[in-house]
Amino acid sequence: MMRSVINQFLGLRLSGNCSVMVTQVRDKGHLSRPRQRNPQWFLRKEITKYNDLMTAENKQFVNEVGTDNYGVKKDNLVKTAEPSANEAVWTPNLRRCGVIARKIGQYPLWLKNGERIRTTLLQIADNHVIKYIPPEEYLPAQVPTVANLHKRGCILVGSETTNPALLTKEYAGIFRNSGVLPKKNLARFIVSPEAQLEPGTPLSVNHFRIGDFVDVRGKTVDHGFQGVVKRHGFKGMPASHGVTKTHRRAGNIGGGGEKGRVWPGTKMPGHMGNRWRKIKGLRVWRINSKYNVMWVQGSSVPGPTGGLVYIYDTILPLRRNKEAPPFPTFYGEPQQDGDDVWYEKVHNFKSESITYENE
Amino acid sequence: MNLSTRVMLNRLTQQCVYKRIVTFSTKTAEHAIENQEEQKKEAPPTTPTPPVNRKPIIPANYRFVYPEFLPDPKVEWRNLVREKLERLDMLDRRKQIDLPEFYVGSVLAVTSSDPHAAGKTSRFVGICINRDRCGLRARFILRNVIDHQGMEVVYELYDPTIQKIEVLRLEKRLDDSLLYLRDALPEYSTFDENMEAEPLEEGAPVPVNDIKVVLRPRPWLERWERQNLRGVANIDEYLKDKHRLSAAKMQKPWEKYDMMKDYRSSIPEEEQTEIFAEVHTELHTLELQRKRNKRKRTFIKPKQLA
Repeated sequence: MMRSVINQFLGLRLSGNCSVMVTQVRDKGHLSRPRQRNPQWFLRKEITKYNDLMTAENKQFVNEVGTDNYGVKKDNLVKTAEPSANEAVWTPNLRRCGVIARKIGQYPLWLKNGERIRTTLLQIADNHVIKYIPPEEYLPAQVPTVANLHKRGCILVGSETTNPALLTKEYAGIFRNSGVLPKKNLARFIVSPEAQLEPGTPLSVNHFRIGDFVDVRGKTVDHGFQGVVKRHGFKGMPASHGVTKTHRRAGNIGGGGEKGRVWPGTKMPGHMGNRWRKIKGLRVWRINSKYNVMWVQGSSVPGPTGGLVYIYDTILPLRRNKEAPPFPTFYGEPQQDGDDVWYEKVHNFKSESITYENE
Repeated sequence: MNLSTRVMLNRLTQQCVYKRIVTFSTKTAEHAIENQEEQKKEAPPTTPTPPVNRKPIIPANYRFVYPEFLPDPKVEWRNLVREKLERLDMLDRRKQIDLPEFYVGSVLAVTSSDPHAAGKTSRFVGICINRDRCGLRARFILRNVIDHQGMEVVYELYDPTIQKIEVLRLEKRLDDSLLYLRDALPEYSTFDENMEAEPLEEGAPVPVNDIKVVLRPRPWLERWERQNLRGVANIDEYLKDKHRLSAAKMQKPWEKYDMMKDYRSSIPEEEQTEIFAEVHTELHTLELQRKRNKRKRTFIKPKQLA
């Protein structure tokens, strides 16, 4: 019946400004349906660990040999391109690389007008570029939902170095020509060819600036099988006044008539959480270069504390970069002050208490 | 045997005190003991012990004076880097304003900036009835009765709009939380706005006020009879048998033996010493500064006779 009413509305031919959009519940399956990805064994990451029955001294010796040969020695790494060689000029429609971070916690900050804001801390630890795949060669098995994919390349970024002895040859082989030790986490970022990076380039928190807006993508907290009240926010039924055995149930699930069936997309109990979600337009309030930590707006970054998130430049049209960000990325050493960089509106704890002036 | 059990055994052997003397000689055990004692006496002069790296000795009361430095014990929310950054921010704020030592039951006066007040500042005097949360979120509630109207203000300790916190009366009470003052007679929550600070001797222990508060008749905001309050005088006066029975049923006398519950709801002592060792030097400097300021204040203000 709704459809017919809406069709009549459309027939009225209203002035060009308003458009009647109808999205029914059953059309929104793409938001809650889990996307099928390759099974975990498609590229096995870790080798089966057998108990080698090594003595403690032998284990220590092996670790020492490993750190001596493969420890942090800057001359072993592939030389990253100097900034002058890569003379890429930023334009607003270009797409930059992102970073892999961990959500380490939340705490409040205050603005200079006395307002208290909630912020989430994201630590960008040990990120390096592993590979760049130009647009001609990039044929992904799982196609990302990005505009103009055929014109864009893919940068593979890794975070958190691990012991290569615990990894399979196939997985460790990905890092062979990158000049870095194998990483625990890998991610792809779809970028414009002008924003390409050399393998081995480190990415730090200075890839973003304060005042920028970022999109953060992560896997939401897994709540397990949940009922309809928690999962969809249904109100349930009263606790008393004669209500029999129906306090947190869904109640009615459909009408009758010609379409007298349960419609696809009807909200029911089921698995909640553990989905990839992206929260857009979070402002970066503060950056700490020493620990590679950034403070972003709000407390709704998906995932638990300690969970992985992927940070991108925002796609929201009103919050996109208007000035050139560090393009293609930030090269060189950050300021050796040791102080954090604060957005101008945020009250620095090192400054005096906030007072209001008489007008 | 894998590494962890080996390490455990090594630690155990270090800790155990073996009274058994093992000798592989034909001589008697007594002779072996004498030999060992002689050897011990000879050993010290030959090898000089390397200087032990001593950590600063943290006062035992730090966990009560600065409770917000200890993080929330919930494991899912803990992260060492975030806690360290939070502590640095807390110290930075403490360098700007003196956040004094106070407990639930102390009377405080808080001056904070208020954009809507005349003169842009507002001062509130009240008794601290509750101290909550950890880190930069730490807060406390002040209660007072002004013009027969009870009012409470929740202040965040690290809020930068707070200009000054003065402790007018430093004392503790019999309970950790005085929320029952909301159901008590108003005289127990009334404090004069122009109250003067009551000085305490330096180094004296914080006095415990064992006053027992008189409650108003029921209905109450909470079921005080279930909370084992020590600071309430007349709780039995307004109870019926059904209240007493349900309170007795709700009791959990086994909780005081539940070590795991205590472990989960607190930070272990080793970690506490580590945390306070990090911030000790700075906090100590601030304490010394505070003492100097206190002495200066008492010196500057001489009493006028007659």
